[in-house]
Amino acid sequence: MLEIRELTRRFGENTAVDHVSFEVPAGQMTGFVGGNGAGKTTTMRMVMGVLGIDEGEVLWQGRPITRLDRRTFGYMPEERGLYPKQPILDQLVYIAQLKGLERVAARTQVSELLERFGLGERTRDHLEKLSLGNQQRVQIIASVLPRPAALVLDEPFSGLDPLAVDSMVDLLREYTSDGIPVLFSSHQLDLVERLCDRLVVLAHGRRVAAGTVTELRDAGVPRFRLVLGGDAGWVRDQSGLEVLDLDGGTALVEVRQEGAEQRLVAEATSRGDVHEFVRVRPALSEIYREATA
Amino acid sequence: MSTQPRTDENTEPAWLLVTRREVVSRITDKSFLLGTAFMVVLIAGFIGFSAWQGERTERVTLAATPDAVAMAGAIADSAPEVDDKVEVTVLETDDEAAAETALREDEADAWLHPTDDGWQLTSESSEQDALTAVARAVVRQQVLADNAASAGTSVEALETGSTVTTDFLRGDAERAGVAEAVGFVFVFLFYFAALVFGMQLASSVIEEKQSRIVEIIAAAIPLRHLLAGKVLGNTALAMIQLLVYLAVGLVGLSFTPYKSFVPALSGPTAWFIGFFLAGFVALACLWAVAGSLASRTEDLQATSTPLTMLMLVMFFGGVSLDGRAQVVASFVPPVSAVVMPKRILAGGVEWWEPLLALGLLAVFAAITVWIGERLYRRALLQTGGRVSLRQAWGAAE
Repeated sequence: MLEIRELTRRFGENTAVDHVSFEVPAGQMTGFVGGNGAGKTTTMRMVMGVLGIDEGEVLWQGRPITRLDRRTFGYMPEERGLYPKQPILDQLVYIAQLKGLERVAARTQVSELLERFGLGERTRDHLEKLSLGNQQRVQIIASVLPRPAALVLDEPFSGLDPLAVDSMVDLLREYTSDGIPVLFSSHQLDLVERLCDRLVVLAHGRRVAAGTVTELRDAGVPRFRLVLGGDAGWVRDQSGLEVLDLDGGTALVEVRQEGAEQRLVAEATSRGDVHEFVRVRPALSEIYREATA
Repeated sequence: MSTQPRTDENTEPAWLLVTRREVVSRITDKSFLLGTAFMVVLIAGFIGFSAWQGERTERVTLAATPDAVAMAGAIADSAPEVDDKVEVTVLETDDEAAAETALREDEADAWLHPTDDGWQLTSESSEQDALTAVARAVVRQQVLADNAASAGTSVEALETGSTVTTDFLRGDAERAGVAEAVGFVFVFLFYFAALVFGMQLASSVIEEKQSRIVEIIAAAIPLRHLLAGKVLGNTALAMIQLLVYLAVGLVGLSFTPYKSFVPALSGPTAWFIGFFLAGFVALACLWAVAGSLASRTEDLQATSTPLTMLMLVMFFGGVSLDGRAQVVASFVPPVSAVVMPKRILAGGVEWWEPLLALGLLAVFAAITVWIGERLYRRALLQTGGRVSLRQAWGAAE
């Protein structure tokens, strides 16, 4: 497990990251969301040791993280690019070796990944000779070298074509099922909702929400939708509830008093047909908008 | 996908990996190889041409009308004494018109004829330098002898006590000439290598910074290993290239009439290699800093200006300094890297002087490496525009 504790970084007067804490549990995908300038990249760069830490600490498996730990992490910086004028196999092997892999093992692993991403025939090609989509695939491979102990990916999906997104998702799922913690930032909330087990929301350098997707969606005041056979006008007179919307036989209510929703159902069944009674959870985008507002 | 065992103990140190990448990626680069090959051809060609120029005997045909044949014959006879690379043949023509025709039809290279107050050499359009020099000397001698005779004396009597002979306290004239020429080559090679490899080093630093691959590298290895690898790699490349050029130059020289100088040159050349190494390392770190201060290739021009200025100072200092200024400069790093080898070439240097200069240069290199490492490390991960030296020095990591 990767733990971020009270991490703080200042640039002059500006506090880019302000006592941010969260966890990236093993085998889980943690999405890191927030607007531009919220401090996501700064946080990730501190986690990777690329940027100094003013306050707080990063723990890996319960103890302060070391350079050698980070060497085993996969990392994708926000802006991409490798060596344009070097064959892709050579530069990926070079990166794997820098990360402590022995030459032959590095070659084997890189070749396997290139094969998997359909680049097995292009190993001798210079990076700049590849199409943009293929360059992105090479970038993905570079970020998961060597077979990482943890993954820290800054906007890994930005600019990827849909096929590359799918390959990336498959690859990430493979890693999480092996128990590897994955932290990735993204602007694409739909993707985050689809992929993530957990979510950390950052705004103006502060953590404004964190938890599993279900936790976050359940965190607000509970809302229920009631669909009746007849008119639902009477719902307005029920105590402990606030009616948000009323339209013929359909009512959307927010529970203000514990148990009020149970009294509502009892009353509804006694009055006639109940077609639907369901808890309404806000979409992630709503939570995000509320949290970062 | 298989899980590879991690063998951290058995892997090569990071700086060595970086060094190898720098060397391999450059040495397999076509433009680098072509550039080196071109220089080799240029050096060999230049030496060959100079040797040919030096050896070549110029054969000239001198047209002369009957009234000038005697003087032309004297010139032809005396030519080898004046200049052993000039061979003069006399072509006797009937009159001035015939002489002019011979000139125009390239049967003769020049035409000698008397004028009211002396002699004139006429050629078609190009100056016959060697012939003119020989003709001047011979005509002067002849006329002087004639005039002396008519004055009742001899040339020898007239010339008594007027000779000026030359003597050099250090070596001889020819050696001084060779030392001057080779010294220029040393200065030029240093300037050329420092500029070409320096620029290359700086732009490869920007390439990594701009593409952010440096973040991946920084997360994996200490940045000082990256810097060390880049400096060592480029130093190795510059040394390889320098050794090739020097070898071609010395081997080429041994096929020319100057071959007797080759043994005398090998000592100074060895010193030069030492000075080159220390001087290059000192400057390489500064080039890396120039690269790290820029955010984009376009910034390099600005961040490297102080260095290109320094290169020019070294070049002109190396070429033009002499006397006391040269002696002082030969101890001042980094200019000493080019000035001291030049002094060694000229001779008359005490045994301890090169050692002291090299020691000072090495100390200077150590200081630039230390300062350079700090600046490079702090500037490299700062993005968004140019970083000033002050910002880089004071920046938190």
